[in-house]
Amino acid sequence: MFRERFFQIEARITDLFSDKGRNPGLADQDHFDGSGPQLQEEARAADAKKSAAAAAPPKKAARTIDEDDYGDDDDDDEEDNVAATSPLHAKSSAATPSTLPPHLQVPTLPKPSDSRGTPSSSGDGARTSEDVRKKLEQSKKELEERAKKTSYTLFHTLETDRDAMLEQQKLDELDRQVENEMSGQSGGRSNNAAGAAQQGSLSNANLGASNLTLKHLIARIDKYRDRVEASDSQLRSLISEVRKNRSKWASEDKVGQEELYEACEKVLMELKAQTEHSAPFLQRVNKREVPDYYSVIKHPMDMGTMIKKLKSYHYKSKKEFVDDLNLIWANCLQYNADPQHYLRKKALYMRKETEKLVPLIPDIVVRDRAEVEAEERRLQNGDNDGEGIEDSEDEEPIMASRGRKAPSKGKKGSTAARKAPPHGPEGTPGAESKPPMSSLLGAPNSGLRTEVSRAGSDAPMDSNGFATPPPGTLTPLGAHGAAHSGAPPSQADASEVDATGVSVNGLPLQADDPDLDDIEFKTWKQVTKKDRAIAAAERNRMFHNERLNVEAQALLRSKAGMRRWLRQQKQAQSEEKPVDERAMDQDAKDSPQAIPGETLAEGIEEEEDRTLPDYYDPVNAIPDIDDRLKWVEDSNGEVVDPCEEYLRMMPKGYFTSPESNLTKKMDANMRQMQDTRRICAKIGIVKQMQLQSQMYQNQFQKYDPQPFVEVDTEPLVVQDDSAILAPWACRAALQRSVGKLFYHAGFEEFQPSALEAATDIAGTYFANLVKTLTVYRESPQVPGEDSTFKPMFSPEEQVIHCLDRNGLDLESLEGYVKDDVERLGSKLGVMHERMKAHLSDLLRPALDSNAGADGAGAFNDGSEQFVGGDFADEIGEDFFGFKELGLDKEFGLSNLSVPLHLLQNRMHSAYQAQNANATTTVGVTMDTPPQYEPVTSQNVGSQIGLVQPFFRKKLRENGDEPLIEDEDLPAKQRFPKPRLPPTGKISSPRKRPLREQQQMAKKKRKIDEGKEVATGGGEGANNSGGTSKPLAKPVGKLKLEMPNNKEKMAVDNEPEKDDGSGVGILSPESIAN
Amino acid sequence: MVLVSTAVCLRGPEPFSSPRFVYLYKPSSTLSLSALRSHLLGFKSAAMAGTGFTPKYRSEIQQMMFVSGETGDISQEVTTLIEQIVQQQVHQMLRDCTETATRRGSRSIATDDLMMLIRHDKAKVSRLRHFLQWKDVRKNLKDSEDKGGGDAADLGAGGADELGAGIVGPGGGPGGPVDTTKKNKKAKVDLVWDVPSFFAESVPARDDEEDEEEEEMNFATLQRLKNADERTKNMTREEYVHWSDCRQASFTFRKGKRFREWAGFGIITDSKPNDDIIDILGFLTFEIVQSLTEEALRVKVAEDEYRKAIGADTDKNNPRKRKRVAGLFDPPEEAREPVQPSHIQEAFRRMQRPRNKSKAMLNFTSGLFRRPLMLI
Repeated sequence: MFRERFFQIEARITDLFSDKGRNPGLADQDHFDGSGPQLQEEARAADAKKSAAAAAPPKKAARTIDEDDYGDDDDDDEEDNVAATSPLHAKSSAATPSTLPPHLQVPTLPKPSDSRGTPSSSGDGARTSEDVRKKLEQSKKELEERAKKTSYTLFHTLETDRDAMLEQQKLDELDRQVENEMSGQSGGRSNNAAGAAQQGSLSNANLGASNLTLKHLIARIDKYRDRVEASDSQLRSLISEVRKNRSKWASEDKVGQEELYEACEKVLMELKAQTEHSAPFLQRVNKREVPDYYSVIKHPMDMGTMIKKLKSYHYKSKKEFVDDLNLIWANCLQYNADPQHYLRKKALYMRKETEKLVPLIPDIVVRDRAEVEAEERRLQNGDNDGEGIEDSEDEEPIMASRGRKAPSKGKKGSTAARKAPPHGPEGTPGAESKPPMSSLLGAPNSGLRTEVSRAGSDAPMDSNGFATPPPGTLTPLGAHGAAHSGAPPSQADASEVDATGVSVNGLPLQADDPDLDDIEFKTWKQVTKKDRAIAAAERNRMFHNERLNVEAQALLRSKAGMRRWLRQQKQAQSEEKPVDERAMDQDAKDSPQAIPGETLAEGIEEEEDRTLPDYYDPVNAIPDIDDRLKWVEDSNGEVVDPCEEYLRMMPKGYFTSPESNLTKKMDANMRQMQDTRRICAKIGIVKQMQLQSQMYQNQFQKYDPQPFVEVDTEPLVVQDDSAILAPWACRAALQRSVGKLFYHAGFEEFQPSALEAATDIAGTYFANLVKTLTVYRESPQVPGEDSTFKPMFSPEEQVIHCLDRNGLDLESLEGYVKDDVERLGSKLGVMHERMKAHLSDLLRPALDSNAGADGAGAFNDGSEQFVGGDFADEIGEDFFGFKELGLDKEFGLSNLSVPLHLLQNRMHSAYQAQNANATTTVGVTMDTPPQYEPVTSQNVGSQIGLVQPFFRKKLRENGDEPLIEDEDLPAKQRFPKPRLPPTGKISSPRKRPLREQQQMAKKKRKIDEGKEVATGGGEGANNSGGTSKPLAKPVGKLKLEMPNNKEKMAVDNEPEKDDGSGVGILSPESIAN
Repeated sequence: MVLVSTAVCLRGPEPFSSPRFVYLYKPSSTLSLSALRSHLLGFKSAAMAGTGFTPKYRSEIQQMMFVSGETGDISQEVTTLIEQIVQQQVHQMLRDCTETATRRGSRSIATDDLMMLIRHDKAKVSRLRHFLQWKDVRKNLKDSEDKGGGDAADLGAGGADELGAGIVGPGGGPGGPVDTTKKNKKAKVDLVWDVPSFFAESVPARDDEEDEEEEEMNFATLQRLKNADERTKNMTREEYVHWSDCRQASFTFRKGKRFREWAGFGIITDSKPNDDIIDILGFLTFEIVQSLTEEALRVKVAEDEYRKAIGADTDKNNPRKRKRVAGLFDPPEEAREPVQPSHIQEAFRRMQRPRNKSKAMLNFTSGLFRRPLMLI
């Protein structure tokens, strides 16, 4: 609906203005004065109102503007066209009490010229050029917008950056070259020139801190305007005095030079920047390369020369400059007559560009200052008249006039539309550059980017069309206007860099491009070239010789970068919203907006706006945070934790093998193996015990395998439903499975490396399996019946194919389960039984077959099983009461039988006995002789008389118990058996335990010494003193045998001594006795 | 991965193609085929020229083929070809065994190494075990015979027969007194990787355990027995004697020295093989000949059918263009024409066809599959 109305209005208004040649500025204001909804009314009333409206609206507009300015911190351009609309302005302006939507303020642009009462003719001229420039600028903006937008939707790779950088370097090179040449000519200028050259871009040098301070001074003055006792003009001149950093082109003597040259330079730079096309024209044609060139072309020209000329102030007017430009293209076209020649294409393109850009240059003829000043004075009167109203009301803020003023200083009140266009590629447009038309839809226009609003954009265009240019001017507007209609106006989004606008030609312009392939990409490339080049160069700086450059500066987050990023975010957000919502949103957003960060201090930071998407600047960004992490409070003010919505516990068993018949069987097999191995270990111990005579408690490690338990991962919270990508965990799980298979295949242990290798292979194989399946699953569909498409393979076929491809088939799988799992299970069972039987054979030989039906036979051969309590283990009864006594805990008994190592002796002897039996039983030919009767006090009398006293004595010592044969003595009391040394001589009496021997040796030594001393005296006492020593040995010999003993005993009355302490000592005595 | 269905036909001496569809990987298929072709052609030329190879087992191979079903008069070319194949296989086996033994840390090959080679063919493993068991029986019998056992001579004959026809099993031969042999059948041939090896302790053998595997495992054996049975059913006595003679044909039996030379002992592997190995090899070589023959016969049957199907069209000599109907007095089909070298070649090719299993790990890689010689 609005759209239709707008069309109507537009039509009407155009009529109006074209007919009446009405002052465009007023009309503009008129038009934009109304707030959105009122627009049409206003338009309808336009006829009637026209004249009347003139006075009031401007004022309003003016006010809004200066309010606008208060909040304005950054990006002043040189010209200080403060109405300028950086996005921030737009926003902040919204915060002002002004009722006007931000865009409505735009139209004030034209006003200055009016109010200044510049001659209409020059005003017109200025306006046209301005207008065109605006158009171009807008189109540029448009391009940038588009590029930006594509960067939201597309990811551009960085691969073209290098080219961009190289081209840029070439350009810079050229600049430097020109500089050098120039510096030779005019050394004085070199400073400025260098500064400019290094920029190489159209980006205007901003004014820096001084300007900013100035700005705030101005703001201050504006605020307290009523207290300042100075006229506007005074103030202005004051300020202009104070201002510094004027353009390098500024000249006190040449009026208009600054503007003209500024514009010219920009145009030139712009053209030069089209590296794709401009390259051939950058330098003079080399005569050596093209010998005949200068015979054909009489007036050679190239851009480098032009720059030189520019820098040496050769150009006196726009015309000269433009002529030179066109000369370049004309030369080219003339020389390369061949229509197919590639340079022609470039030249044509450049000419087209030139045509587009030339209108930007204000039509100024550089004049001497004196001359101009005279004129100015003359004009001053008119100016006052024109401004009468405003002046009378003191409301007129300086700020607002500043925009006008600034130029005036440059030109000193020159007539021309002052200001060189401060349009940088970055698009902080000067005030003028603010497209009037953008106001078009007022507030709602923020939605312009959408399709819907696109149609609406026609309206603004037209309004634009009529608004600025006075009727009858023959600017290319018409053509542009047509072009505009199709293009989406990239309009000023409040959050966007500038409220600029529209105008278009983005699309059509691109369409003209001779060799376009991908418009979007091309646009992108073109628009962002410079920035990309810079970015690439910066990146390059990070490296040195293919390595990270240690010297490089650290990447730091900059406030400017963050602000830019913030803006982009905001813009992106606003674009996502539906149109109407956005309108609302805009208000809402704007009011509190005043972005806290926008302080003065921050403003100082260089605000460069780049067209690059934020991923070019990874430092200055904040990664996205999930929406669900938002801080939400419920009605009670409690924080609502939204995690339930998207977090979930990872289901259990994700990393364990799923339960199935197969796994159960395999687990059973493995358990079976463990059991069998346990038995094996016992068998091993038993066998070892049979062979070994002595055992230690720790000799055998208890084989006590732990049951296999697959441990799942810790409880884990995951987000969403996606699979859990934890390669290490997966690998560990696979490794465990492989390990289980190893075990299942009979390996009790394996080397880690083997496990690793097998895991890798298994992993690869499974990956192949899945990939194969995917191939089959995703194979192209084939036409089925009734013209539908069906998959080439049914799921079953897919699986079977996939298996086959990987060398498997169902039979082999089934075979594995049957043979390697099930049958293995039964085999293991059998083996287990056999092992058990074998063990019991070993342990209880008695229980075999000859134990008898009731097992009574088991006692026959003195089997140990009842001693050891093995049977109790079997029946699970605490036969010995170990448990009751707490012994099982005390000794950590694994079962309730007597620990094996305690029984070792028995086992050993049993085995020996068994073995002995085995060998001897066959060959037993004689019965073992009957045992001697033990000597008792009763039958001692029947012994030989000689030994009777000995026996008696023994019996007495023994307490009249029967005497025990030596062989029947307990092992420790038994005498060691004497051995015959290799010499064949029996040299020593029976062998004694080591300690005893040592003690004896000592004693003996003492005694010997004593004897040596008392040899003489002792002789008499001992009969055989001299021979006692030699005789001592035979005595020992005598003691070896019982009969000897007895014999001796009979003589000796100290019989206990012979088995006791020292045989050597006693021997002489015994002999003596 | 491209699934190519290609009709692969081997260019033999005669134009021969039966439509067979083989799934092959494109890259490897051409290569391997050409390799195979040269392989076979090499055989053929060698056989033809007779240079550097003197056949030593012609009669044995003939006999084996006869037992395996080829009744016709077998040309020397065929036997030479087969002998070459067998020899190649034996060489390969010995090489592989040596490798395994080396890995085991032993310099001489053991029966386990041979078993290892054929472990994937369960039926064959089972037959081999069966064979070894009976061999053991025979040895025991011999021992007892030496000791002067009474009726051991009878048993010995039976045992010998079993040995010779070990593959055919007890049912095929005249069969000795079963009870006695059963009793003697003590030695159970265990595979190293079988269950008993899982455990550290070994269990004394028990007599009462029945090996249930055998009954299930040797389906193929039973099939062969059945075939043999069918063929011997209508034989006259003389024929049967000839048949049973043929069944005793072996590469190794009583030809140990010749076989050792032929198989390259001392060259391929420097060990002095023990009897078991020689016997196993004898068994395996017989298996090779048998498989080859059976496969070749199948090939021939397929070819004959194919000929018959298109025979009318291609046979220029037959102007009537009518299919020849088998006449009442035609000789039996199989007797008509013995197996040709081309059939053997085709059979060999089929058996050498790489299995997907062996190249599964190469899927999705650009790795080239190198075809090793596969053991038949």
